Amino acid sequence: MSEQREKIREIIKETKSLPTIPGIVGKLNALSNDQKTSIKEMANIVSADQVLSAKMLRLANSPSYGFARISTVSNAMILLGIDVVKSLVLSSSIFEIMENNVMGLWEHSLGAGVAANIIVRRLNLKECEEISTAALLHDIGKVILKLKFEDEYAALGKLVTARQMWFRDAEMELLGTDHAEVGGWLATSWFLPDKLVEPIACHHDVSKSGTHQIRTAVVHVADIMIKAAAFGFSGDPFVPRLQPAAVRVLGLNETILSDIAEELGDRLIDIKNFSLEMQETDG
Amino acid sequence: MQLIPIALAQPEMVLAREVVRPDNPSGPPICGRGMALSAPLIARLRQMGIKSLIVDGHPVMVEGEESLEIMLDALEHRFSKVTGDPLMDFLKGTFRSILCRSMGEEAP
Repeated sequence: MSEQREKIREIIKETKSLPTIPGIVGKLNALSNDQKTSIKEMANIVSADQVLSAKMLRLANSPSYGFARISTVSNAMILLGIDVVKSLVLSSSIFEIMENNVMGLWEHSLGAGVAANIIVRRLNLKECEEISTAALLHDIGKVILKLKFEDEYAALGKLVTARQMWFRDAEMELLGTDHAEVGGWLATSWFLPDKLVEPIACHHDVSKSGTHQIRTAVVHVADIMIKAAAFGFSGDPFVPRLQPAAVRVLGLNETILSDIAEELGDRLIDIKNFSLEMQETDG
Repeated sequence: MQLIPIALAQPEMVLAREVVRPDNPSGPPICGRGMALSAPLIARLRQMGIKSLIVDGHPVMVEGEESLEIMLDALEHRFSKVTGDPLMDFLKGTFRSILCRSMGEEAP
């Protein structure tokens, strides 16, 4: 099984055949390090790609981010900051791949983004937008497995159904690795910051997380909450157990979990509505 | 609350969410939450290209929608591998109550 794991790792390393991080993110990185660059110049770069900027604005106004009505890229830059706009551009690009290939997973990810936002607000944690992005991208490993290992991905689904097992256990049995590790490899190959890589790579094993354990724990809980609500479909028919490490790091108790679940229950209809609108617009 | 196609909207249903123009979702809302629908308002919303509304309660059974009984069975199945874990049992109970309320019924 470890042979299969190494094969997957090699393919991820050979990034030429994988969806690449949009060039705009690279340009924004370079410009934001230059003190002389104005926000207007950076906004012009994003606005020049009309399709991408439209998708980015839709995502900014989606329930996953939940920003107040933002209608232009310049507004987004000024109100949200460069880092948030970069993460929005990135999420928009990756979401397009998901939307076209794995709709159930797209809705699951959208829902996880909303759940992460709710958790962060309820617990008064900082850097909410970054955590939303991590939650939106947490299952990116599944997208790559679906795109690059189509037969194996289909076999995973069959094994899960036949043996009524957790998706992750099936991945370990068939592939010798899981989507979290694969997603972590991909995020690393894209040079994403550790605050995104760790929650993606460790969202099924919070105790493995190093410097970003709180963010990882939020994504872990968001994933479980949206699975519990059965919104979208991640490929996993069973809700995983809340890990003691996540419960401890976030200080979760019944009252907090109940508050988060109730607010999520109230927001599900908004997420569904947003998803339907996106499908109608794109269809 | 329930998301319904506008074709199923009826006078006296109450909006649970504001309605925005589909061609300008970032613009000001056309109708606010809490507003009761009337026949002329429904006609005007249809003319504006609104395709769905979110209304209070669960006033219509939409074709293909699962019954509460089926949804509760599915909830039991989803949580079947973590039965006996106190926090997970609590979470299941919370989602059971949310499901029942969303269908306009009391939790058993």
